[in-house]
Amino acid sequence: MTRQLRDRLSAVGMGSAALFCVALAASIAVALVLRSRPMLAESSVTRLLTSSSWRPLAGEFGFFPFIVGTLCVSGLAMALGIPVCLLSSLYLTEYAHSHLRSVARPVLDLLAAIPPVVFGLWGVLALVPLVQKLGARFGSATTGYSVLAGGIVLAIMVFPIIIAVMQEVLLKVPLEAREASLALGATRWQTTKHVVVRAAYPGIIAAIVLGFSRALGETMAVLMVVGNVPTVPRSVFDPAYPLPALIANNYGEMMSIPRYDSALMFAALILMALVLIFNIGAIVALRGIERKLA
Amino acid sequence: MKSVRARVFLVLVTAVVAFGIAMSLRVPPSGATTRGARSALRGTIRVSGAWALYPMMVVWAEEFRKANPGVQVDVSAGGAGKGATDALGGMVEIGMVSRDIHPEEAKKGGFWIPVVKDAVLPAASAANPVAKELATRGVARKTFSALWVEGKPLTWGDVVGKPKVKEAVRVYTRSDACGAADTWAKYLGKRQEDLKGVAVYGDPGLAQAVQRDKFGIGYNNLNYAYDARTGKPVAGLVMIPIDINGDGKISKSESFYRTRAEMKKAIASGAYPSPPARDLNLLTKGKPTGLTREFLLWILRDGQRYVDRAGYIELPKPKLDAAKKKLG
Repeated sequence: MTRQLRDRLSAVGMGSAALFCVALAASIAVALVLRSRPMLAESSVTRLLTSSSWRPLAGEFGFFPFIVGTLCVSGLAMALGIPVCLLSSLYLTEYAHSHLRSVARPVLDLLAAIPPVVFGLWGVLALVPLVQKLGARFGSATTGYSVLAGGIVLAIMVFPIIIAVMQEVLLKVPLEAREASLALGATRWQTTKHVVVRAAYPGIIAAIVLGFSRALGETMAVLMVVGNVPTVPRSVFDPAYPLPALIANNYGEMMSIPRYDSALMFAALILMALVLIFNIGAIVALRGIERKLA
Repeated sequence: MKSVRARVFLVLVTAVVAFGIAMSLRVPPSGATTRGARSALRGTIRVSGAWALYPMMVVWAEEFRKANPGVQVDVSAGGAGKGATDALGGMVEIGMVSRDIHPEEAKKGGFWIPVVKDAVLPAASAANPVAKELATRGVARKTFSALWVEGKPLTWGDVVGKPKVKEAVRVYTRSDACGAADTWAKYLGKRQEDLKGVAVYGDPGLAQAVQRDKFGIGYNNLNYAYDARTGKPVAGLVMIPIDINGDGKISKSESFYRTRAEMKKAIASGAYPSPPARDLNLLTKGKPTGLTREFLLWILRDGQRYVDRAGYIELPKPKLDAAKKKLG
């Protein structure tokens, strides 16, 4: 075998592996569209997306509460998670002693390796009663199974991913930049805020995008604490019903209710579209930021 | 050169997309994985579905395996709906379905036999402020209906006729497609999707939620409502007696909630209404053959020996005979 041939072959091999991954995503999308066609043939996409009436036996499939539920729970998780993640990764890279860093890293990795069901169970046992008490203090007769409980569980689940990526990004900022800033008389906090975070900005956004995409799709842990009621939540103490939970809970009725499988495939399609829209939005925003910084 | 690469790219993409579509449209293979002759039974039987039947099926699987060492029975729980979907989709040989078989499932080639009986029971927390009144007065069907179907915001005072108690009733239901919810809904003249309330995953999950919430109300399968060891209601739960005749009190003929044995007798005699008492079914795709059929026949004959000990109620003999006949 000549060197050139080997080179060609390895290029083809790697290329097809990469292609396979890309095409897989495309084929899932195509399959979802095909399977949700019976649903789309009967009612318009706008009706499906904006109607709040969910009564599969009567043939009414309104996905609005589920879309709102997904965005609420994931949004709340990010609102709770981003500050904690950013501050802790800044602390670990800029302030902490390397000993602490070497201890914190495996602990965070461990957190990432805990199965979602365990988080869900913890949520049911510890978090739901806590939210119930908190709700009572705010004058809400909540059961504790709520957007807030789901958001907190989800926030904790995305911590390790976001922190890991943020740490990598912050460590990439050259040491010389910090030294220059400190030499000019800036304090450590000023250096962190104006030099390190600024330089790492695009990477930080990428970490958040990654976390949010994960949050959108997380199923089991959220399902166990979120209450699963198909109405639009009015406060964080109300239950919600995210799209992944809808699919997981009702997969069982697919066979017994007409067009239900088609409806669930459509739910999956919506979820995929949400992730896609969010990612494209993030890429566009990132380009803008990079251009501004350059 | 470039066009060659483009063509390779195109072929690959088409292949993968076609593969993906084929996989998602593929009809799963049906029938049992029976390998081997009838005399010396060998092979694997996969069972999934209702939480209500799960403890029973585990016992049956164990005993059947003891009698037939060459057979393995894999049992998993995930709700009646999952059992039906898995069985009709060919993922398992037998689906456990703890409710009536829906016409749509029959149309898809579902074949089923009833194997045991149990019931769904309304439950509240033991810490409920009106637990005593609940036990003496009971709750009538129309109140259950107001809570679960109409979603009326009632207080516990409204439920037991004690206006001083102002705490709102917090209604719980099941999130997973399941027989308990469907049977409870049927008792109220509806289907699972019509039940209001915060939805919790799984039978143990629902029991736990109501245990913890002193203003909560829920429902559970017999075997998750009573402790198997003590025969008393599970710690932290009280059963809500159903005021069957609606006279505002629990008379002697309506009082059978103290122990599991008492409750079982009431279900067997029909004193506890049906629904929420119900037959538990095993569903296969098409009329079963081979190993699956043998297992089902065994359940109807020898398997009935373990029913009582496992905490279920045996079917009346004519029903068992009819099931055997249906199996052929």
